[in-house]
Amino acid sequence: MRSRLRTALAVLFLGAGFTARAEYAIRWIHERAAAIEVDGLTRDNLAQLAAAKPRDLASSELLTVHVEQPVERGSTAPTMPSVAGTWKIVGDALRFEPRFPFAPGVRYRAEFQPVRLPGRPGAHGETSDPSGAARTDPVISYFELPRAPATGATAVVQVFPSGDVLPENQLKFYVHFSAPMSRGGIYEHVQLRDRAGNLIELPFLELDEELWDPAMTRVTLLIDPGRIKRGVKPLEDMGPVFEEGKTYTLAIQPSWRDAGGTPLATTFVKTFRIGPADRTPPDPNRWTIQSEPRTGTAEPLIVGFDEPIDRALALRLIGIARVEPGGRPLSAVEGEVALDDHERRWTFRPVEPWSRGAYRLVVATTIEDLAGNNIGKTFDVELAAGAQRQLATSTISVPFDVK
Amino acid sequence: MKTHTRCLVLSLLACALGAAGAHAGITAGMKEGNPALKSISQLAFGPEGVLFIADTKAAAIVAVATGDTQPAASSALIKATAINQKIAALLGAAADQIVIEDLAVNPISRQAYLAISRGRGPDAAPVLLRIKADGQPEIVALDRVKFSRAELPDAPTDGMVGQANRQRNPRLEAITDIAYADGRVVVAGLSNEEFSSTLRAIEFPFKDVTRGTTVEIYHGAHGAYETRAPVRTFVPYKVGNQSHLLAAYTCTPLVQFALSDLKPGAKIQGKTIAEFGNRNRPLDIVVYQKDGKDYLLLANSARGVMKVAAEQITGASSITSKVDGTKGLAFEKIDWDGINQLDRLDNRHAVVIRAGAGGIQNLETLALP
Repeated sequence: MRSRLRTALAVLFLGAGFTARAEYAIRWIHERAAAIEVDGLTRDNLAQLAAAKPRDLASSELLTVHVEQPVERGSTAPTMPSVAGTWKIVGDALRFEPRFPFAPGVRYRAEFQPVRLPGRPGAHGETSDPSGAARTDPVISYFELPRAPATGATAVVQVFPSGDVLPENQLKFYVHFSAPMSRGGIYEHVQLRDRAGNLIELPFLELDEELWDPAMTRVTLLIDPGRIKRGVKPLEDMGPVFEEGKTYTLAIQPSWRDAGGTPLATTFVKTFRIGPADRTPPDPNRWTIQSEPRTGTAEPLIVGFDEPIDRALALRLIGIARVEPGGRPLSAVEGEVALDDHERRWTFRPVEPWSRGAYRLVVATTIEDLAGNNIGKTFDVELAAGAQRQLATSTISVPFDVK
Repeated sequence: MKTHTRCLVLSLLACALGAAGAHAGITAGMKEGNPALKSISQLAFGPEGVLFIADTKAAAIVAVATGDTQPAASSALIKATAINQKIAALLGAAADQIVIEDLAVNPISRQAYLAISRGRGPDAAPVLLRIKADGQPEIVALDRVKFSRAELPDAPTDGMVGQANRQRNPRLEAITDIAYADGRVVVAGLSNEEFSSTLRAIEFPFKDVTRGTTVEIYHGAHGAYETRAPVRTFVPYKVGNQSHLLAAYTCTPLVQFALSDLKPGAKIQGKTIAEFGNRNRPLDIVVYQKDGKDYLLLANSARGVMKVAAEQITGASSITSKVDGTKGLAFEKIDWDGINQLDRLDNRHAVVIRAGAGGIQNLETLALP
């Protein structure tokens, strides 16, 4: 329902002496900017409150909202602050707007203490109002926004690399989810096992920051680089994560919760075999143009890789440029890119039809294969061999013509 | 890392200079308004109450003039039991929806600041908090503050590549630590796509467009191979007269390199001066002085807290052979359990956040060992 909701929910009046004249009422306003309001204030009250400084209203504890937190039996609960927000007079009501919207599934307790109204000489529970005891009793109201219904539909949709044979020095996995997930302690939900079902100990580089994308539908798991490189200590102590010829299973447990707090629908399992280590840097000169588009069409350009390329980087770090006449700078060609054939085939569909001329397939040298080798450099460099790392960010180009 | 070496001394010096009117510039170029953080992660104090805040989602470092520049009136110790529940109560959320991202103590006022995410999903709200003397958290309003920001350059790619690819860019660089030293903000980052660990040194005050410098850090682990393991936490430290960074990597070597080497395009070969053991992640590192000597205190995920006499660093030899167990600088294991966050309060105390029973996190002050 889109109408303006000013729903009074679960308003409980505590205080035996409640009478028709004691009309303080707490209303929970559940709309875009959730708030609560207290009605039943006199003209004098309203005028005094409207004139009060915001800071005084905040410190008066006239109207407070607390989160109801479970207290373990026998423990002494520390004093909890009330929910941060602002107080003001809106119309004939005292309104509290929380600094952050009320959260679904959290039980809140609002308390209005009439004895703390300005101008009351007998604060702190003394009854000095001739209108009767009920006008001084605190008014307490509880409220809980329902959680969004658990759809139970969030699932792992794919893990990349998608192939079922990976190099012994496999570096990364991208886990894609069907909906945004929640962060924190993610490594508890991911297990890597060998064929016999034995757990591989600490296979991932566990980072508190967790490598999510902005939408939180993709997380990057890095194999601990100390356990895929040669000669680095964890490898000496614990052995490599993967060994050639063996089969492993990556399992993602439903205990992992989505952003709404609902566990994943099912366990996701990816089983793969480990092949030889890949210590050969990728080289676009070994790639093949499988389908050359024709002038005047929006046919795709299809490029075949000679090995699977890191999916995220293949989608982001390969582009098409047009060679402009007269030695002018290359111009980028806008288009849609896609990957398939287990990250071995890259497809580019231009937004505008191709025009006749010379083009370049432009590849950033920071692109990586599955083992994290870059163009011109392997993941781990043997210093004794005198290998030089190439630090300047650059690209290499593969020319092609559209006829 | 949070406070930088002798930052109290430097801050006091800065105050003294400020009193003399000689420091114009630290906040002069800042504008007033709301920095509109998209996220909050690492914190570090610079001079004069300037707080550096890492905003990973915005790929930016925001410098906020907190105005919290009054030297502490007392040497009261900070304590806040069930700090995670108190924060949840203040922010109107369930305690399991509160993520304490970082802790930093303002070396001038001795006030503890916390970077908080309210929520664990993509809509999590970034919140900066301060712990009051009574142990209760309060929101540090950022609606109208003096601030400046340094945008971190996106993936270092050629302009021709990718920009015309019509798809959403899911790249983010997680900021694993920031620190202020010698007029520069040093930022360690790790991409969720390229396996590259970067360290940037950004001049502060930030220029109009501050691209900073990007370098890759390698350490010669055991001589034979270079690694690209990400820097986890680091602390500036002067060895002799030269400023260095002592960086703890994820698997836990301690690597030393000169701050002056952080130049655009530079390749830095760090010097591995200690191996503190595997199956472990370093969390925070601080420097303090006791009885006229400097010490490092390193908090770890699995190997507790380690105390290292810094005098060993001068003249420490580089570890170039395979290590069985630990090697290099000698350390003393300190019996502090469950430390998740660590910063220095003063030369005698550290502020920590440590796990208590039943998912409770407590903020405590501990005497430095």
